[in-house]
Amino acid sequence: MFVLCVKSIADDTVMKRLNICFSIVLLFFLSASFCHGQSVQIRILHVNDFHGFAEPYKPLGSDEMVGGIANLAGRANELREKKPCLLLSAGDMIQGNNWANLSRGESVIELMNEMRFDAMVLGNHEFDFGQDVLIKRISEAKFPIVAANVEGLGQLKPYIIKNLEGVHVGIIGVVTEDVPISTHPRNVAGLKFMSPVDAVEKYIAELKKKADLIVVLSHIGYPVDRILAERVKGIDVVVGGHSHTKIEKPVKVGNTIIVQAWEHAKALGVLDLTVEDGKIVGFEGHLEEIRPKNDKEDKAASAIVQKYNEKVNAVLNERVGEAEMDLDGENVRRRETNLGDLIADIMRHASGVDVTIINGGEIRTSIKRGEIRVKDIYSVLPFDNYIVAIKLTGKQIRDALEHGVSAVEEEEGRFPQVSGLTFKYSPSDKRGSRVKEVLIAGKPMDSDWEYTVATNDFLAAGGDGYKAFGEAIKASRDFAIIGGMMKGEKVVYSDSGRWLRDAVVEYLKEMKGVAPTVEGRIIEIH
Amino acid sequence: MKMKVYVNDRRVYVLPGMKVKHALMRAGLLEEIKGSKKVYDEWGNEVGLDGALSEEVKIYIRTINNKL
Repeated sequence: MFVLCVKSIADDTVMKRLNICFSIVLLFFLSASFCHGQSVQIRILHVNDFHGFAEPYKPLGSDEMVGGIANLAGRANELREKKPCLLLSAGDMIQGNNWANLSRGESVIELMNEMRFDAMVLGNHEFDFGQDVLIKRISEAKFPIVAANVEGLGQLKPYIIKNLEGVHVGIIGVVTEDVPISTHPRNVAGLKFMSPVDAVEKYIAELKKKADLIVVLSHIGYPVDRILAERVKGIDVVVGGHSHTKIEKPVKVGNTIIVQAWEHAKALGVLDLTVEDGKIVGFEGHLEEIRPKNDKEDKAASAIVQKYNEKVNAVLNERVGEAEMDLDGENVRRRETNLGDLIADIMRHASGVDVTIINGGEIRTSIKRGEIRVKDIYSVLPFDNYIVAIKLTGKQIRDALEHGVSAVEEEEGRFPQVSGLTFKYSPSDKRGSRVKEVLIAGKPMDSDWEYTVATNDFLAAGGDGYKAFGEAIKASRDFAIIGGMMKGEKVVYSDSGRWLRDAVVEYLKEMKGVAPTVEGRIIEIH
Repeated sequence: MKMKVYVNDRRVYVLPGMKVKHALMRAGLLEEIKGSKKVYDEWGNEVGLDGALSEEVKIYIRTINNKL
């Protein structure tokens, strides 16, 4: 072009043309020198595993109030003003706390829209309300939701590209492969979850032609993020979630920077990158711990929190049914009660098993005769427990019952409430030898036969000193998903995305009225 | 599959989908969190009680500010 211009230098017109050509050439060189050698500062703000913890709270073992999404939003606003910035979420946003659950995540998406998130990866708990709800939430989101290793949900994108001051940032999403065994299988029917490593390798090859930097927005947990960084070359940054890890300073594995910002809006992750010639030449990061400070709140986010608090209260006041008699939650640590029977029956019904054994301590209060509201059930069952069902032998059931009645004198929470079985016990006998006749479906229990037993995840994990469920889990080999349900050698049901109290609410809504009586399932003899 | 994890180097088994708190329960150590202790991963990062577990993960209970 420059040569052509010199040849045409003959008259004024040609001189004008020369000037234009010279200007173009100058612009070309100026432009080239901007792209090559000039560094650009960009910022990534990130959160993960919010789980609907919109308001500050005191974590177990702490007396300090922490978190609060309106405060986090306020701080994010301040930080994003300083540099070209992305605000990313590494998943598990819409399920967990009542503030999220009672609107099935609608509250969280409205909040994230207000906060102007740039992208989010699906977490495993995003599937917990089922695919119809998830598709609705995706349609409401004003930001893209990425998941490169999920097949069958057309609303998802494998990746996006964002342009920050001329730096093209490719963002690939990956979620844990374990989704089908960590939520109810009906929630993922028809979907396929591929290996995150394979998915990232596939899309990184495609993105390298289009993007300067590759960010993996990951919901696979920090230990697996490290494996991903070791195995897949070309990842610049992993913004992680799932393991709720508090990575106070960015970690480097090979050439990959890994960050994660704890949980529950207790921290906002900040990662500053210096980019030169499409490469990261410097980075600095930290977590901004979030504490309640009214003057720092984002007012719009705060208004959304309050709006959905009012909706939560409205839902909690909804009528779900009628108790035709008082439902006894006071005596659940010393004897069979009608409320214990009702909850145990609902668990057996929901999981389709032979027997239920739960700890009386799960049940925290009574319900008076009359209208039952959602908040009554939430007061009875305040813990975030879910239904698990495991195959136990008759001997293991007897061991569980023996443990359950072993501290009846102290009225400990381990005292059982049951469904599908009846048993007699003698509290005056030696601990460990108190349980006498056990009948299942009206027949004597066979010590060697395996029965399917529903319980809560607390007891399944050994809570209140119950060991029988843990022994069965230890002996279990493998799972398969058959007919939409998780089946395994020992584990037959697990629905970690639906709290027990919500299963009870759903049941009562169907039944309208309940009139449970004490049936003689647990008989004290002397 | 059941999941094998380690709490203070002791092997315990939990179900897929279970979290840090379940592993602590299985190890009989959840009560310690109500005091002045927290949970850390094998690299010394604090982890939340609702954090997801993965196969062969190692977690440790330590006094606050006394990391690995």
